[in-house]
Amino acid sequence: MTDNVLTISGIHKSFGGLKVIDDVSLDVRRGSRTALIGPNGAGKTTIFNLLTGVYPIDDGTVVLDGIDISHVPSQDRVIHGMSRSFQNIRLMPHLSTIENVMLGQHSRARSFGNLMFPLGLLSKNKWRDEAEAALENAGIGSYPGEVVANLPFGVQKRIEVVRAMVSQPKLLLLDEPAAGLNEIETRQLQELLENVSASGVTILVVEHDMHFVRNLCDHVVVLNFGQKIFEGTPDEVHQNPAVLEAYLGRDDSQSAKETTDAS
Amino acid sequence: MSGYLESQLVILCLSIIYAYGIFLPAASGQLNLGAAGFITLGAYASGWFNLSDGLGISMPLSIVLAMLFTGAVSFMIAFPILRTRGVYMVLATFAFAEVVSGLTINMEFLGAAAGMPVDDHAPVTILVIAAIAVILFCFYFMSTRLGLALRSIHDDESVSVLFGVNVRLAKVAAFTVGGMLMGLGGALYGHHYNYIEAQSFNVLLSIYILLYVLLGGTQTAWGPLVGAIFFTVVPELIRNLAIEIGSTWLADSRFIFFGGFIVLMMVIRPEGVITRTMQDRVASIFSGGRRKNSGEAE
Amino acid sequence: MMLLLQQLINGLMLGGLYVMVAVAFTLIIGMLNFLNFTIPALFMVAAIMMWATMTGNLPFGNETLTGLFGEGNLWIAGIIVAIVVVSLASLIIERFTYRYMKAKYGDATEHALPLVSSLGFLIMFEHMVISAYGSDALTVVSPFGDATFTIGSLLFSYPQVISLILSLGIVFTLHYIIRRTKLGRALRSIAERPETATLMGVDVLRIVPIVYVITGLLCAISGILFTINYTTVDAYIGDTVATVAIAGMVLGGLGSVWGAVIGGLMVGILEVFSIYIVGADFVKVPIWGLLLIILIFKPTGLFGHSAIGKGKF
Repeated sequence: MTDNVLTISGIHKSFGGLKVIDDVSLDVRRGSRTALIGPNGAGKTTIFNLLTGVYPIDDGTVVLDGIDISHVPSQDRVIHGMSRSFQNIRLMPHLSTIENVMLGQHSRARSFGNLMFPLGLLSKNKWRDEAEAALENAGIGSYPGEVVANLPFGVQKRIEVVRAMVSQPKLLLLDEPAAGLNEIETRQLQELLENVSASGVTILVVEHDMHFVRNLCDHVVVLNFGQKIFEGTPDEVHQNPAVLEAYLGRDDSQSAKETTDAS
Repeated sequence: MSGYLESQLVILCLSIIYAYGIFLPAASGQLNLGAAGFITLGAYASGWFNLSDGLGISMPLSIVLAMLFTGAVSFMIAFPILRTRGVYMVLATFAFAEVVSGLTINMEFLGAAAGMPVDDHAPVTILVIAAIAVILFCFYFMSTRLGLALRSIHDDESVSVLFGVNVRLAKVAAFTVGGMLMGLGGALYGHHYNYIEAQSFNVLLSIYILLYVLLGGTQTAWGPLVGAIFFTVVPELIRNLAIEIGSTWLADSRFIFFGGFIVLMMVIRPEGVITRTMQDRVASIFSGGRRKNSGEAE
Repeated sequence: MMLLLQQLINGLMLGGLYVMVAVAFTLIIGMLNFLNFTIPALFMVAAIMMWATMTGNLPFGNETLTGLFGEGNLWIAGIIVAIVVVSLASLIIERFTYRYMKAKYGDATEHALPLVSSLGFLIMFEHMVISAYGSDALTVVSPFGDATFTIGSLLFSYPQVISLILSLGIVFTLHYIIRRTKLGRALRSIAERPETATLMGVDVLRIVPIVYVITGLLCAISGILFTINYTTVDAYIGDTVATVAIAGMVLGGLGSVWGAVIGGLMVGILEVFSIYIVGADFVKVPIWGLLLIILIFKPTGLFGHSAIGKGKF
């Protein structure tokens, strides 16, 4: 078992003539909680899309738990142990909460027997029980009779995480899970993710909320203009001049550094 | 049972079977405007297998073979047709039905324009049993993980892919099984009326069936049932009512109201009569909240 | 050889009628992104109104019109009646297919709303006509008698030639409008991105009805010319005639007006040749078979863009 659950080396991606990811390499240590940050347009969601196979990479490799998945089709990547949530909630509007979560189980239930098992007819079956338990552990009810679109935003975001979790991934990719959440919801999310991490799942999260990142993550990777410009602990990142410059611009970063030094 | 009621029941049973054939692909977002084509294939196939001066195969077996034949054709065209999307798919299925119609009307061994008599008779009880079997089968089918996958594809295909759904295969499965059901319906039509002609199954039929399904609702397996019942029963009720009150205008106009009703539904309730939420709410009334999980466990 | 050339001429004449309907389809698909099944219905309504006016079968006003125009000139009244009826119908249809679109979640079948509404209107109009006039064939006497002329040994009929010239003329005018006028720019911006069009000051709610009326007029003129040329109409010609124009649209490429012109003409020629070679009964197969093949292998047709129609109905 390798030490890094994910290794990406020399990833390049262009759309048309525009280079969006330029020679990005990074290792994600098993069991870690890593944040991928950077200003808007830095390429963070693109990295996620490349990892999950939504777009093919132009160059480089993606190795998940020792297996090269660089050219594995999107629908098979989840089997290798990678699962994700989305920046804009992408739950199925016409499915119930439980069913949305059960979709996450699909990769584990692709045998003919499982495909043709009457999930919806038998109220007690192992898949349904598992989904209900997962929701309960996350502190969410199953909201029978409700269309997911009508649920509170914070709840929908956590349902997305639960859905990603039931595929039993080795690596969980979360795209701005805290965006749009209020204080209470953010804390609930953080608790959920700490439990997830404690169960052995590696977490890679794209985020803008630095407070959330500092509380949850032990490692931070910074992207700007499609390139990795820094990585380190949350504290190191906070003070690094290159990072400050990326966010604030040259002059402002100087004064920001002075403010940080003074504090 | 009176002759009139029996003939209405036959139409209802056939409509239900056809509707489920269109419902399966519609549940995954694939609109099939070529029902007439699949029904035609099933009708002629079963009639032909059954011909006493031909292969003389028994009716039950003929029907099964017709279903398999229609299934095979559905399967073969599913792959290329499912590469098309949205309006292209509507057009492709429409074109398919027209091609089938054009071919069958010219095949001498199928009776060409004069039509084909069918030997064995399927009484109304057989049709009712078949309709019930189809209903039960479809409820089962939609309750499986495959059914769940189809409904996910309907809502968000790209996310379904990311969770491991083999979208291609799921759509092909739905399309093929749907085709087989329509083939079954066609075969039963042939055996009940003991006569088929290519004009029996035309563009309007394809349109009506698709409309039953969309108006009933594609979110649950109740939709096509409600749609088929509503749209075969209500026009007849109106007709009978009109005859009673002596208004021939009303009797002849029932399809005008049908058309108008469709337009109205698209404005006020485009998701169809039966929706997911409705089904769940009705179900939780019946189960007395047994499966209800607390929404307040936060 | 002459025979083939004659068939070609006949095909072009028929194609001329298809061109207008195909352009109508392609405009709506290109601008509003849905397959408008009321188009065949409007074609049929125009043809029937033409017949009704010329044979004194309108629900009211027959004597007035005969008085105004004279028995032999009722065809002029027919043109006016058909155009008025179809324009009104187009405005009503616009209200219910585009204006009230209520796709809540924007998923696959809910994008089919306008298509389904249009099918509803198709059923309504067809049955209104059946209710009023029955489902049998209805004939008129052509106001131009048997007006034909020959060039060499090729036979041309005046009405058909005029139809062809008229169709092409109308499409040229349409093309000019779309390319050169303010209205045309507004139409093109709606076609590209409806949301941005509103931001750029295009009054979408005023323009869209205009598009519906323009397409309605195209169908109306085609229906009128059909009645004059072929003199026999019925409630089903929407299904049997106008839907073939869809093949022309797809052949030319969804959303392309010139594509619809070329596609419409080609389908007309294909139809006539098919009838000549394999007989009228069989004609569906080559036409719809061709459509099926195009859809599977080259759905963008000759001149279409790949963005149109995908994921929309």
